[in-house]
Amino acid sequence: MKKLILLSLSFFFVFTSYASAQIVGENYEIEQQLLASTKQLNQFFKRFNGEEDVKGRTFEPDDRQYRNERLRKKYLSILFDEEDTDISSQAKNDFIERVTQGDNPEFLNLHSKDWFAVVNTTFLYKGKEMPLLLYMKIQQEALGYEWVIADVAFDPYKTMFDKQRGETKVFLHPMSHELDFMNLRKALVKGGVPESYTLADYKPDFLTIFLYEVKMGILQFQTVNRMNYHFFGIDGWYFSLTNFNRANDNSGWLISDLLQVNTSQKEDLLKIIYEKK
Amino acid sequence: MNNQIFKRLSYVVALMAFFAVSTQAQSPVDPNREKAIDSLALEKVKDLGKYIAIIGNKDTPFSEANRVMDRAEELFAPGSEMGVSSLASEEIKYYKVREYFQRLMALNYDKVNIEWYDVQYISDLERQPDGRYVGVVTIYQKFEGTTADKMNYKDTTKKDITIYVEKKKTQIAGRTIEFWDVILGDIRVSETSV
Repeated sequence: MKKLILLSLSFFFVFTSYASAQIVGENYEIEQQLLASTKQLNQFFKRFNGEEDVKGRTFEPDDRQYRNERLRKKYLSILFDEEDTDISSQAKNDFIERVTQGDNPEFLNLHSKDWFAVVNTTFLYKGKEMPLLLYMKIQQEALGYEWVIADVAFDPYKTMFDKQRGETKVFLHPMSHELDFMNLRKALVKGGVPESYTLADYKPDFLTIFLYEVKMGILQFQTVNRMNYHFFGIDGWYFSLTNFNRANDNSGWLISDLLQVNTSQKEDLLKIIYEKK
Repeated sequence: MNNQIFKRLSYVVALMAFFAVSTQAQSPVDPNREKAIDSLALEKVKDLGKYIAIIGNKDTPFSEANRVMDRAEELFAPGSEMGVSSLASEEIKYYKVREYFQRLMALNYDKVNIEWYDVQYISDLERQPDGRYVGVVTIYQKFEGTTADKMNYKDTTKKDITIYVEKKKTQIAGRTIEFWDVILGDIRVSETSV
């Protein structure tokens, strides 16, 4: 009888161990992927800077591993998208060497002015759902920091204030002052081209128009679709981050673009990102 | 209920231990205290996990589920929302916390199992303009639902949970004690590919 009980117990033990091993085994693989994934921007910064261990635990500044060059090189090599982008291994290596350079290493900082977010949103505009880009920056305010809208890009605004120049444009003639500008009545009409009556270097401020239309309920926020982050803080380099939702280790917030840029290329790139002409 | 009160009291006592150094309302969070706050935040997130599992469980009686929803709602700052997206649609749909729980309870499955992966990530705490601190805890939840005709549905969602940390005051035995409290805020729920 004792033998039977022992046998049953051993069988039960083996069986339950096997069953739990199955569950642990299934979860283990997924948990390793989740651990490897760069889960937050915060984690991207920490990995970039070498400020946390592989399990995401923060190093104290007096820890030997804190911002350790070898650790940073290891982390940096896994912070690049390896599937959808064509960043050359040469560029990748040059970048890693640059930011970990012994006497002049570069680190990222949440409060830096050299990075920003581009948030792709949907707004309801005159009854129609339309995409709108919000350019967000982080700034200091009172006791802490806040994200703020620095600019917008919205297709209807892009051509709305395109001003004609030259002989064919409409204008207020140069003796209008003698008539107490009575011709303004004909110039400023609904559906007209009031931008024609502005200074030659007139530039519309899309952000102010956006704020006005939100306040008036003309633009109604619907949702956020996706976002990217752009970094210009590493001298001579530009890189952007995209979130990759994948069932493997190369997932989360990863570098999706990397370019070596000089000052004029940087200006051109900013114009492209901000969708400015 | 007694359990709840005891738990809260132990949070307060635990955090008071880390509050001995400075009593200035705007003092920064020192690293030791930040660890204690992280633990408190994780406790609250775990509580939320337990509540979600009870609300989603089809064996939970309606009245009990409603009581648990009340408890779960108490973890959140007023006006908190869940922003939900799926692999099929990147568009974020927004629900008030209570509405999200009600939708979870009303899911058309015969059996529901909700588990949490043993992976979490806690961001640094950042100070807001009003002096409160804010952070984000990321956790992963596995959902399995079985319909009456034995159809299975499985997903894993990433939950990025806002935590607000602020200094509060309480009276214990006639003395005013200041302590750090953690309250949950908006949660971004996104379906993962794993």
